Amino acid sequence: MNGHCNVNVNDTVEEFHCNSFSDLIIDSKKSVVHRKHDTSRKNEEDQSRLPTLEAAYTSILRELGEDTDRQGLLRTPLRAAKAMQFLTKGYHETIEDILNNAIFDEDHDEMVIVKNIDVFSLCEHHLVPFFGKVHIGYIPNKKVVGLSKLARIVEIFSRRLQVQERLTKQIAVGISEALQPKGVAVVIEASHMCMVMRGVQKMNSCTVTSTMLGVYLEDPKTREEFLTLSRSA
Amino acid sequence: MEHSKQKQYGSSENKETGHSSVLNGHFDGTVKRPAAGPSLPPAAESGSQRPVMESWREERTRSVEDNEMSLPSLAAAYTTILRGLGEDPQRQGLLKTPWRAATAMQFFTKGYQEKIIADVLNDAIFDEDHDEMVIVKDIDMFSMCEHHLVPIFGRVHIGYLPNKRVLGLSKLARIVEIYSRRLQVQERLTKQIAVAITEALQPTGVGVVIEATHMCMVMRGVQKMNSKTVTSTMLGVFREDPKTRDEFLTLIRS
Repeated sequence: MNGHCNVNVNDTVEEFHCNSFSDLIIDSKKSVVHRKHDTSRKNEEDQSRLPTLEAAYTSILRELGEDTDRQGLLRTPLRAAKAMQFLTKGYHETIEDILNNAIFDEDHDEMVIVKNIDVFSLCEHHLVPFFGKVHIGYIPNKKVVGLSKLARIVEIFSRRLQVQERLTKQIAVGISEALQPKGVAVVIEASHMCMVMRGVQKMNSCTVTSTMLGVYLEDPKTREEFLTLSRSA
Repeated sequence: MEHSKQKQYGSSENKETGHSSVLNGHFDGTVKRPAAGPSLPPAAESGSQRPVMESWREERTRSVEDNEMSLPSLAAAYTTILRGLGEDPQRQGLLKTPWRAATAMQFFTKGYQEKIIADVLNDAIFDEDHDEMVIVKDIDMFSMCEHHLVPIFGRVHIGYLPNKRVLGLSKLARIVEIYSRRLQVQERLTKQIAVAITEALQPTGVGVVIEATHMCMVMRGVQKMNSKTVTSTMLGVFREDPKTRDEFLTLIRS
């Protein structure tokens, strides 16, 4: 998926506790969240990889016909390499890291929605950004999560080379594995620069993907309530 | 204009290498240089200070053949980048990404391939006895930040006061395309568009306003989602007469 080549795909996978989820939807062996992988990119690795990235960007600038010695481009390879590392920093992070303390026992079983979370990611096919908004809803099962942690989960998965469908599913699965709620719903509306700036060049196009898990999948009324609430201004 | 800015930076290398006239690093002092060569930086050119009003007439320095020839090295560079980020270039989603990314980047810099006069403006200048303001606004613009290689996008508003010669309207948008599809700085882009229109038409005045969002500020760094950068260039009567400028600015806002 967001395949880190140093991950051993035969790693043992934890039991996936599903209460009312349909097992067919998520193959836990393939779940990126679930794999116990070390964060294979730490800061030292980033630093050590910087020269290679810089050299690659210098070569790109030359091949495009630019003059790499002109003032505006002198440090561009370094800046572009760092920018690209920042835009893919999600590979560093795991859900366990950010969620550790922020799950609380509350006797709440009504829907919780956090909407209009800005999301920025990189298209894995063209290495061009896509960005938009994420709306997340979940129905807690005695455990609620700190609200900003939902946004942080979005950050972890979006700061990678992504495909919007996969991003939506990873966010949903990440939340459901962390909280075991009764249901999770994630909707992403995004604009893809690879479609807007090049190729078919449709300025106003917007791609919408959604993942419904648990009670959101089974009960149409719940799903409708989420969709209505997340759309209202 | 651009020349004086370059000199202010006080770098002594500029004068020696002749790069002081290099803006989007593609042109040099001698417009007679054959354009068919592969895309090398103008290394050993004379340090002639071209008058800035020549700047828009730069030769095409990249051709379609150049693009094809550089594609393998670009793809190799992108493969290195993917590995350097810790990704697996062999997984299914990334197999052809180096080629796609290379082609995409060549598209985003295709402004280096085009010549203003020959390609764009040749036939579309007409003699009209019109001397009222002409405005084309909300031209979508997409560029690449030359500092971080991430997109810039926004809108360009152009106004000019013809002096017996008018330009085909879409040619204004094409001028925007030529200069924006490059590694750019928004200030320079604004000025290049204005100067190109001035030199092509010799109008009484030109005004160009660009409002853009810079992904380098939105996706990374300071991360301000709603920030917009506005730059403008006013030439001729737009600069000298505040009423004309006012009219232009009001009309582009409505």
